[in-house]
Amino acid sequence: MEHAQDQDALYREAAETFGPAMQRLARATEANAERQRDLVQDMHVAIWRSFAQFDGRCSLRTWVYRVTHNVAASHVAREARRNRGAVTLEAIDQMPDGRSLSADLEQADALERLMAWIRRLKSPDRQIMTLYLEDLSAAEIADITGLTPGAIATRISRLKTHLTKDFQETNNA
Amino acid sequence: MPELDKLQKLWATQPVEPFSLSPEELRQRARKFQASLRMRNITEYLAALLVVGVFGWMAFLIPQPVVKLGAGLIILGALYVSWKLHTYSGANMAHGGDTADSLIRYHRAELVRQREALANVWRWYLLPFLPGALLFVGGVSFAPDTGLPFFVALPGFLFSLAIMGGLAFGIIWLNNRAVRQLDAEIAELDKAAEG
Repeated sequence: MEHAQDQDALYREAAETFGPAMQRLARATEANAERQRDLVQDMHVAIWRSFAQFDGRCSLRTWVYRVTHNVAASHVAREARRNRGAVTLEAIDQMPDGRSLSADLEQADALERLMAWIRRLKSPDRQIMTLYLEDLSAAEIADITGLTPGAIATRISRLKTHLTKDFQETNNA
Repeated sequence: MPELDKLQKLWATQPVEPFSLSPEELRQRARKFQASLRMRNITEYLAALLVVGVFGWMAFLIPQPVVKLGAGLIILGALYVSWKLHTYSGANMAHGGDTADSLIRYHRAELVRQREALANVWRWYLLPFLPGALLFVGGVSFAPDTGLPFFVALPGFLFSLAIMGGLAFGIIWLNNRAVRQLDAEIAELDKAAEG
C-alpha cells in the first residue's frame, strides 16, 4: 500500500512539474489533435506505471523525460506510415518552405511551423531539438538520450544552423 | 543566436490545456492497456484453435493415412507457432517495460526485438507448417478414390505447391524488406550514439 502511495505521489509531482512539457512534446510528435491527446494520456500512464520501478538510477527530471520521450518515439514508430516523410539531419538541407523566422514569430502559425519542422526530424534529432527547446543542458540531454554530451553539442549546433537557414532562406531570397 | 532564444520563448509560452488523471483513472487505463495485449494474444490462440479444429475434423473424415498424417502435422505446426507467439509476447512484456532507459538503448532494443521476430519468421512461422502441408496436399491430390492417373493429378498438385510457395515467398519478401528498414534504423541509431 505504501509502495502504491509512493507511486501516486511521485506521479502527482511529475505531472504537476512536467505536465506542460509533455503537452509540448506531444505537439512536436503528433500533428493530429485527437492523437496528441491520446499521446499525452499514454505518457501520463507510462510515467505512473514506471514509478512502480523507480530505482533512483537518475533524477526524477531525467526519469520523466526518458519515459515521455520513449513513449513518443514508440508512438512515431507505430505511426511510421504516417511519418514516412521524416528525414535525417543530413538530408534536411533540402527541406522546403523556408520563411523569415523574425516575421514568423509575429504570426500565429509560427509555432505550428516549428512543430511541423520538428516532426519531420528523425529520432534522436527530434528528441534533441525538443529537449533543447525545453532549455535543458547538453549534459542533461545526453543523460536522457544516451548519447555523449559532445555528440549532443554537435547535433544541437547543426540543428540550429539548419533551423535558422530553413526559416530565413526565402526571406533572404 | 537571438532568433533561437525567441524560439525557446515561443516554445515555453505555448498554451497548456488543463489535464489531469486521477489515480483511479490511471489504474483503469493501465488495466485497459493490459487487456488489449491479452485480447491480441487471445485472437492468436483462437486462430490456432481454428486450425486445430478444421484439420482435426479433416483428419477424422478423410480416410487416407497420408492425409491424416499431414493434418496431424499441420496441427502440431499450429501449436508450435502459437507457443512461439506466446514466447515472443512474453519477451515483449518482460523486456519492453523499461521505459526509463535512455532513448537510444530503449529504442534500439525495441528495433532489435522486432528485427529478430521478423528475420526468423520463415523458421518459426512457415517451416512448421511445411511438412504437414506437403503431405496433406500430396495426399489429397493423389488420393486413390479420385480415380485420377498420376500424371493427371500431378498438375493439380504442382499448382497447389506453386500457390503455397508463392504465399511463403511473399511473406518472406515482405519481412525481409521490413528487416532491411529496421537494420537501417539500427545503423542510424548506432551512428548517432558514436557521435
